[in-house]
Amino acid sequence: MPGVKRSPPSLVSSLVRAAALWAVPGLILVTLALGLVSRNSSYRSFDEPLESTVLGLIASVETREDGTLRLSRELPDPRYQRALSGKYWVIGTVENGDEIAPILSSRSLYGASLPVSKPTISALAEQGQDPVRFAAAGPDIDANESLRAVARQVVLPNMTTPVVVLAAADRAPVIRSIRNFILTAIVLLLVLTLGLIFAVYAQVRLGLRPLFDLGRRIADVREGRAASVEGDYPPEISPLATELNSLISHNKSIVDRAQTHVGNLAHALKTPIAVLRNEAEAADTTPSHIVAKQTDTMAAQVDHHLRRARAAARGQAIGVRADMDPVIDGLVRTLPRIYRDKDLTIDRTGETALIFRGNPRDLEDMIGNLMDNAAKWTASRIDVHVEKMEDGFCRVRIADDGPGLTADEIETALKRGARLDEATPGSGLGLSIVKDLADAYKGSLSFSRSKAGGLQADLLLPIAVEA
Amino acid sequence: MRVLIVEDDADLSRQLKSAFKDAGYAVDIANDGEEGHFLGDTEPYDAVILDLGLPLIDGVSVLQKWRADGKTFPVLILTARDQWSEKVAGFDAGADDYLTKPFHVEELMARLRALLRRAAGHTTDTIELGDLMVDNRAARAFVDGMAIKLTSHEFRLLSYMAAHKGRVISRTELVEHIYDQDFDRDSNTIEVFVGRLRKKIGTERIETVRGLGYRLLDPESENTD
Repeated sequence: MPGVKRSPPSLVSSLVRAAALWAVPGLILVTLALGLVSRNSSYRSFDEPLESTVLGLIASVETREDGTLRLSRELPDPRYQRALSGKYWVIGTVENGDEIAPILSSRSLYGASLPVSKPTISALAEQGQDPVRFAAAGPDIDANESLRAVARQVVLPNMTTPVVVLAAADRAPVIRSIRNFILTAIVLLLVLTLGLIFAVYAQVRLGLRPLFDLGRRIADVREGRAASVEGDYPPEISPLATELNSLISHNKSIVDRAQTHVGNLAHALKTPIAVLRNEAEAADTTPSHIVAKQTDTMAAQVDHHLRRARAAARGQAIGVRADMDPVIDGLVRTLPRIYRDKDLTIDRTGETALIFRGNPRDLEDMIGNLMDNAAKWTASRIDVHVEKMEDGFCRVRIADDGPGLTADEIETALKRGARLDEATPGSGLGLSIVKDLADAYKGSLSFSRSKAGGLQADLLLPIAVEA
Repeated sequence: MRVLIVEDDADLSRQLKSAFKDAGYAVDIANDGEEGHFLGDTEPYDAVILDLGLPLIDGVSVLQKWRADGKTFPVLILTARDQWSEKVAGFDAGADDYLTKPFHVEELMARLRALLRRAAGHTTDTIELGDLMVDNRAARAFVDGMAIKLTSHEFRLLSYMAAHKGRVISRTELVEHIYDQDFDRDSNTIEVFVGRLRKKIGTERIETVRGLGYRLLDPESENTD
């Protein structure tokens, strides 16, 4: 059904299915081949005595002077004497092209003749001295007798026309034996197939046991029964367990830090709340300047802690990425509108289509604040240059033509929680948090003097490198 | 000057209305995006203060609709959303300024004045017409350096005419830009206000253009001669 996401099949059933996929056709082929080999060998050993009989008949037939034939000695097998015994022989001539007119035949035939098909007759003529093997209906019509016959066409001494010497025997036993063999083979191979599939199933379950175990351990961690994924795992799975543990501890440290920040914020708010409460208790109307001052303090504390908590929590985001172009281009478009009294020109050069390996919001905060800072201080021009570095990093260089910063000022600016410009309105977080974020991504932020004499910020960020 | 505030927080919109009225503006309030869009679409505001997280229609969509309909009044976005991408989206939708909460009313006022100034083509908050000076920042007017006492409606009338000095302004336009929605609008009262204003700033400064409206004369401009 479109739109419905099917869950992938279980690993065990996939592996078992894959094993069955080659084992079952393989075993069917083996059964067929075995059946064929057994049939051929059965018929070969069935045909051999018949061929000896034909040779014996040829050796013992004699041509009398009157042109009739007789056997110099009877064949030793008594079944040739007993009526419809299942063993027969005939010596005769081909007449009308599709029938053998018997000259001599075994008593077991009881005067009946053996029908021979036209293709067999022509095969006899073509083969000459060589024996021809074929199937024929037997004389015992009630038993629905099916015979297998061997015949040769020979020209006897004192005769001008060739005669056909034919020996036949009931082939029911050989058919029975082939059928029995095939049935046995099918049963045995079926058992073998089931055994194989079961063995594969057992093997897969056994092989995947560490994974099932890992699943249970992770559930233990989630439900609070364990602090980390414990246990010895085979080398194939052990890195997974290690990675899971570091993920869990990373998660825990984020929660810890967030809790610390909430605690810090709560404590920071307690003082202004206390001041306001005391004022409210002391007088019916609290002077507005006190309310204003304390709410400003509260707002500043909320702002500071919120931003620091965000920076701390998001720094080492896992598995997220952000397109850099929309962020930079959006800022290039928007900052001149924010600072429209300045006639701002922002020149963006260098690489495009780079992907930042981290949280989109962090990227916005870092580049946004650096560019906003540049826009705040520049006379009129900002240069943004993006350059791809070798080791999976890129450098975003933001240079302005403003007054720049001295080495001491740079040091102060990068100090935690510091803001150089409390007086100038801006939407920035302060450069120190940009540095915190860059550090958290194993990148860096450094300042120097730009060519135009202003500030130049070099932000090093990890980028996604296509494999 | 008439301003629309689209803000769903009742306390904040009440505070803003009071502050803006004190500063000499006619103020209308809309509590959701739908009402805000309707008012902006039908009333000739001089500026709009727009929240982004609004019920029914969000602020950015409201702004996009206005701009698509050719509305050119300046719009200042006032929101708690402080992400750069949100600012970019706001400006891309057609905002003229963006202020994040928490904010100081003075800063909001200053930015709104800057927007109005820019829209009218002025560079400062004060407009001078010879010896008459209108200070929009302090909501006061001076003649020959002496402050004159004006009611809020008189100041709005003077401020609007000063922003459009030298241009003939119809009574209807004055009504639309001086009164807020709640006011009982009667264009006859404009005559009363103009009469009072003439007494305070000098009769010859406001010219009546018969059948068209009024014009505040700018002695430095040749056009008004």
